[in-house]
Amino acid sequence: MPPDIGDRTQRERVVDAMVESCAEKTYAATTITDIVGRARISRTTFYKHFPDKRACFDAAIDHCLAELRGAAAAAHSPADRPADAARKAAGAVLDAMAERPGLAQLLSGDAIAVDPAVVERYRRATIPALEALWSANGGVPSPHMDPRLAFGQAQVLLLDQIATGKSDRLPELLPELVYLTVSPFGGHEEALHQSKLAGAGEASGAVKR
Amino acid sequence: MPSSDSDGPDDLRRWRLPRGRHGLPREIVERSQRERLLAAVVRVTVSKGYEATTVADILGEAGVGRESFYEIFDDKLDCMLAAHEVLIEDLEEQVRVAYATAGPWPGRMREALATTLRWFAADPEVARFTFVELSTVGPAFRSIFQADYARFTELLDEGLNEEDPSPALTQATKLAVGAILARIYEEVVLGRAEDLPHLLPDLTYNLLVPFVGEEAARAEQEAARSASE
Repeated sequence: MPPDIGDRTQRERVVDAMVESCAEKTYAATTITDIVGRARISRTTFYKHFPDKRACFDAAIDHCLAELRGAAAAAHSPADRPADAARKAAGAVLDAMAERPGLAQLLSGDAIAVDPAVVERYRRATIPALEALWSANGGVPSPHMDPRLAFGQAQVLLLDQIATGKSDRLPELLPELVYLTVSPFGGHEEALHQSKLAGAGEASGAVKR
Repeated sequence: MPSSDSDGPDDLRRWRLPRGRHGLPREIVERSQRERLLAAVVRVTVSKGYEATTVADILGEAGVGRESFYEIFDDKLDCMLAAHEVLIEDLEEQVRVAYATAGPWPGRMREALATTLRWFAADPEVARFTFVELSTVGPAFRSIFQADYARFTELLDEGLNEEDPSPALTQATKLAVGAILARIYEEVVLGRAEDLPHLLPDLTYNLLVPFVGEEAARAEQEAARSASE
């Protein structure tokens, strides 16, 4: 294996270890020892990649954001109406989080606890992407609801689901999350409609599974 | 702080016993010590951060001895959680009263919200303690958060009677409490807790939309705006 590839996977392992440890015991309780133990690397190797725990956390946040952004983008096509695209993107993000609860924990509970600036970064990655769906056909949409608030509400719902120990049941939040995703630029009625669509889809999906 | 409850945060801040020989019964001394420690843990963690705070810092601020501290609390976290409990009970009581006022539900909801905003604005240290410091205590934060969220969601649900608007979303009250938490958090982080009451009209709108639709919520927003002018 070429050394640079070995290096990269090592760094990825460290980031993954951070995500998993936060999911299990929160960032505050995570130690460098936990991370090197999980990643099966030495302490020296850890410090080759990151100066401290916080830098590793920031890398983990970037990693989570990229993963969720990828999932959201892959879920819809340019042919979709904005509200449909938003519904699909919300579903894909929730599925990705359900598969790896560490993503949700990192972005809700830990981001709040560690540094509000992290929340702001996450918000800046989300709201313009949403706005872009509605402005794809030209013209900037005027919001029906405050998108920053909807973002915060989604974060609180996720945090609650995790705090309650129901991180494996994140998809249950789909109707609410779709409502929050659609309502800022699509309005209340459209958001309700999409929320019902999502709820019905989720129910039939559960039957199929 | 609009509190008359003897366990309320008002007393946490103000009640001091004279040092030295005051001849008060032991239980009153202990009660006062407990309250002084609770007030101290709020002030110290807000100024130093939870992690950097030591029990010695809390003792110094409260003017209470180490032995007395450990008679009352297990450790720093225990003291912190006890302070949170006293505070949140006071808030809940005041919101319950405001929510129980007469009149149509949207107006009662607005009263409950206005009370919440005023409560945090009255004491920015308490706001910071509740929204920032508590979130840094580690795994214990999850259960506090969950319990508080459930507590206020239930409060709203209980006051929603059959004749009141029934929301199209099953978890609309949860969304409403979530909106309040998220919005207050944002202001507190920016050090603007004192300005929270200004948010009333816009937040009223956002809370009510899932229950009554945009048009009716807009009317309540206007009512809140003219009431505050």
